[in-house]
Amino acid sequence: MIVSNSISKKYEKSHVLQHVGLQVNKGSIYGLLGSNGAGKTTLLKIIAGIVRPDDGEITVDGKGVFEDTEVKAAMFFLADSLYFFSQYTIKQMADFYRDTYPNWNQERFLKLQQLFQLDRKKKISQFSKGMQRQVAFWLALSTMPEYLILDEPFDGLDAVIRKKIKNLLVQDVAEREMTIIISSHNLREIEDICDYIGILHQGQLLLEKDIDDLKSDIHKVQVAFRQKPETEVWDNLDVLYKERRGSVILAIVRGKEEDIVSHLEQYQPVILDLLPLTLEEIFVYEMGDAGYAIENILV
Amino acid sequence: MFDLDIRSRKPIYEQLVDKLKELIINDVLQVDEKLPSVRVLAQQLTINPNTIQKAYRELETQGYIYSVKGKGSFVNKLAKSEKSEELQKVKDQLEKLIAEAMFFGMTKDELQTLIEEIEEQVKRGDRDDRQ
Repeated sequence: MIVSNSISKKYEKSHVLQHVGLQVNKGSIYGLLGSNGAGKTTLLKIIAGIVRPDDGEITVDGKGVFEDTEVKAAMFFLADSLYFFSQYTIKQMADFYRDTYPNWNQERFLKLQQLFQLDRKKKISQFSKGMQRQVAFWLALSTMPEYLILDEPFDGLDAVIRKKIKNLLVQDVAEREMTIIISSHNLREIEDICDYIGILHQGQLLLEKDIDDLKSDIHKVQVAFRQKPETEVWDNLDVLYKERRGSVILAIVRGKEEDIVSHLEQYQPVILDLLPLTLEEIFVYEMGDAGYAIENILV
Repeated sequence: MFDLDIRSRKPIYEQLVDKLKELIINDVLQVDEKLPSVRVLAQQLTINPNTIQKAYRELETQGYIYSVKGKGSFVNKLAKSEKSEELQKVKDQLEKLIAEAMFFGMTKDELQTLIEEIEEQVKRGDRDDRQ
């Protein structure tokens, strides 16, 4: 389990992280979302023990991470910009990792070659960007990490490889309770495999929640009344957003589905539709609440 | 075994619960049949194993399945109540549709004839082919 306690980090004068407290349970796939420059990468580097926080502390299974080789041996950080030693082939790079990580699994490394279909004797620098990323995953999974930290991992991978890699990740989570933290700004890409979501905005953690709770707790309501409805209709509901489109009112409401429906049915609506929101929509409305313009987020 | 709609707005866990319920109600999965293990299903569908675990737990509380420690999850003898729950849902839908039909000027007699026709078709067993 990874627990951070009110972490803050400042680069020169800018506060990159402010009092971030997050918790990642063992065997969970945690999606870290955030606008550009929200501090995702810095937070991941702190979790990986590469950067030391100015304030607050972070523990992995109860132990501090920073420069602790024992903790780090069970952890793999896959950065957004990859680094390989120049002139190294995959095999040479694998030898390096084998010496570094005590849990290195050579058998698995060889097995994964069938999946990635890359020539081990070739220099890594000669591969394309997407292939280099595959090499990184290949090496990462061969170290059998307990904690896998991925920073924008699917950039530059085609749909087939992405699916293959997700499949590998899910298997490791199911089989040996590996914990994954994955950052992304592409919500659709991680929606299917994450079970926990944290949203970071301007250095602060806006929310942290189980993805199913997040989805079943917020609804898009389309409703129309025959008579002009009194304003009291919305009084007892937690309305995030409301808009009138002709005679239909569209609202984003927080709360349980049954409660919302039974409340609105008292007023005999002509139309009443309830839809769950996509992760993308939740993100947009939550960020809208935090004062972040929508146009800037969706890529 | 089945596929989920990852793009759907419905939470994956809910989809999973509904799909499995459907399979159980329609006897595709029979009483005491073993459900696929969390590991296998996670790999097949490429979704989070924790989500599957959660769905299985939900099905267990609802009485659709039971689990045996170290062996896995199995289909429970179905309580009849669920079928009546489904029936209620269909009734609600019918009510709405019939009200709509009457609004557009359909009479009781016309409805009656329609029902008789449908009954005929169901008896002949070709209702499903038409759909």
